[in-house]
Amino acid sequence: MIEAKQLVKKYGTFTAVNGVSFEVNQGEVFGLLGPNGAGKTTTMEMIEGLRRPDGGTAIVCGYDTQTDLRRVKEVIGVQLQSTSLFDLLRVKEIIQMYAGFYANTLEIDPLLERMILTEKSQDRIKNLSGGQKQRLAIALALVHDPKVIFLDEPTTGLDPQARRTLWDIVLSLKNEGKTIVLSTHYMEEAHVLCDRICLMDRGQVVALDTPDALIRQLQFDNAIEFRLGEGSAFSSAGKDHEELERLLTLLRSVDEVKQVEVRNDTYLLYTDDLQKALTSWIASAATNHVFFTDLQTRTATLEDVFIHMTGRSLREA
Amino acid sequence: MMKAYWQVTRAQLILFSRNRQVLFWSLVFPIFLMIMLGSFIGGDKKMGLNLSIQDQDHSIASKMLVQQLSQQQGIMVTEVSSIDDDKKRIQNGESRMVLVIPPSYGETLGKAVEASSKGEISANKVTELKLYLDKTNMAIAVPGMSAMNTIVGELNAQALKWKPAITVAGIALQAPDLRYIDFLVPGIVAMMIMSNNMNGVAGQIASWRERGILRRLQSTPLTSGTFIAGQITARLMLNSFQALIVLVVGFLVFGTAVKGSWLLLIAFVIMGTLAFMSIGFIIAGLAKTPESAGPIAGFVSFPLLFLGGVFFPIQNMPEWLQPVVKALPIAHLSTAIRQVMNVGADLGTLWTEAALLGGWLVGAFIIASYTFKWE
Repeated sequence: MIEAKQLVKKYGTFTAVNGVSFEVNQGEVFGLLGPNGAGKTTTMEMIEGLRRPDGGTAIVCGYDTQTDLRRVKEVIGVQLQSTSLFDLLRVKEIIQMYAGFYANTLEIDPLLERMILTEKSQDRIKNLSGGQKQRLAIALALVHDPKVIFLDEPTTGLDPQARRTLWDIVLSLKNEGKTIVLSTHYMEEAHVLCDRICLMDRGQVVALDTPDALIRQLQFDNAIEFRLGEGSAFSSAGKDHEELERLLTLLRSVDEVKQVEVRNDTYLLYTDDLQKALTSWIASAATNHVFFTDLQTRTATLEDVFIHMTGRSLREA
Repeated sequence: MMKAYWQVTRAQLILFSRNRQVLFWSLVFPIFLMIMLGSFIGGDKKMGLNLSIQDQDHSIASKMLVQQLSQQQGIMVTEVSSIDDDKKRIQNGESRMVLVIPPSYGETLGKAVEASSKGEISANKVTELKLYLDKTNMAIAVPGMSAMNTIVGELNAQALKWKPAITVAGIALQAPDLRYIDFLVPGIVAMMIMSNNMNGVAGQIASWRERGILRRLQSTPLTSGTFIAGQITARLMLNSFQALIVLVVGFLVFGTAVKGSWLLLIAFVIMGTLAFMSIGFIIAGLAKTPESAGPIAGFVSFPLLFLGGVFFPIQNMPEWLQPVVKALPIAHLSTAIRQVMNVGADLGTLWTEAALLGGWLVGAFIIASYTFKWE
């Protein structure tokens, strides 16, 4: 459905997107996952035809976005990152307005029903909550029953419940057979919603696969996290580089630990055998006078994939 | 696509009707301004030359002269006992003349009449009427001197029983007895058209761009042509409606009327709307942020309001400013609307205004289409 080839976008001397290529298949939810500034929005907007690429091509449903933009616009539905609509219009009025731009459109009432906006149909947009505004933005993207739907960070800034509601809507669209391109910086969201994920960092594709395959690609499936407590050995590792190196050497020597990472003041031990690694680490900590706090174990996530690929976490990047 | 065009127009009209600020500034404020200015600056005060007369003679002849001047159309006479105040006012730039009738006036005139009835030529000294005026103010100096010369010429002719062989018959092209309110109402209409469209478009488009509203529209098949056409239609409807309300209020409160063709009036309203919308689009295109678009539009419109013949006649401006003032689009718009309303002028007499306003429209539209951006 979508074919992006070597897309490049430059702003002055800054290269926002640097040679991004991928294909999106019909009926899949394709995720662009990465930290803020990774180039997700710019990539999407080049495919939507809103930004002219400085290099590369994007083809949607067989139409080139640079030469056949009119056709592309007919088959895509777009929700932009910063949803801003005419505040003084009512919900139903703005849907009618957008419906006016297309030759064939869906019935408005069932669409409102699906987006859980029926009760709000006579409300002014400025009086809607964040989640309601976001659902309205998606309703506008769906009004002409498009084949491909672009959702740019649809859940950013929403409370957990509104986010869940939106996930349900995305999954129901997927069940209908829509092709969806979704960008997010929440790895959990990407994991739940997306069939395939394109991990992006600094304008480039870092990895591209199904969420499970991305995690499987790591050499470990569990992580142990902890922080150093007061009075612990190596407690100055945060400031003293040599002390940090000694601590890392100790951590790497723990049985079954495959990889060690430091994120701020949190230490991460990756392993295939959680039980062995954990008992071995607790024993080692005791002999070396290390007192840890906030010890957690968990299965590896997309976050760990990102850390592994870029050396940085999604949150801090 | 008609459906898209209608939807854009409809949405914009709904936005107008729900925006209290727009309603206030574009409708309530102009009417308020019109009623305030109209009532306090004297809606019934006639427009014309202000003349203060100091009669030092107090003879029958001098009183007749004062009366004769008072009856003269376009001259507003005030009798004063001292001229010092008025001289000061002239020096301060007020459009005013002061006439002093010297004590010897009646005597001189009487002797001349006596002499001429005997068929003699009077050997008397000539009496000078002193006229004080600001010679740099052409709006006063030229008509003032010529009006006085005409009257004095008539007096001389009467006194000497002399009949001129050649006269000039002045045919009034403009109704001479216009009141200030007749001047003001068309100005208010022109002001509304300018500020609604130039300031309105600049502020709105810049803010829609900033908030990504235009970008979202750009991702639909809506073309910029359809979008702008809808904007124009909605604004034309708004402006025609507003102009009508101002005209009706002017008629009901002050008795102002449209003497000329409504069709021509509407044509000028449309041209003004399009010209100022285009300028608004240019400002929106050049402004870096939406916060700066409003002040830029204000900065442009403020001098236009005061120089463009909205509140004060252009003739009253200093002469060096006249070429500048006469190039402004608001000047042509206010003049054209005024002429159609007050004198019933037709396109034949207003073709220069139409052409210049049209020039502004075309020029601004071309620049606007180059500077317009969705994002």
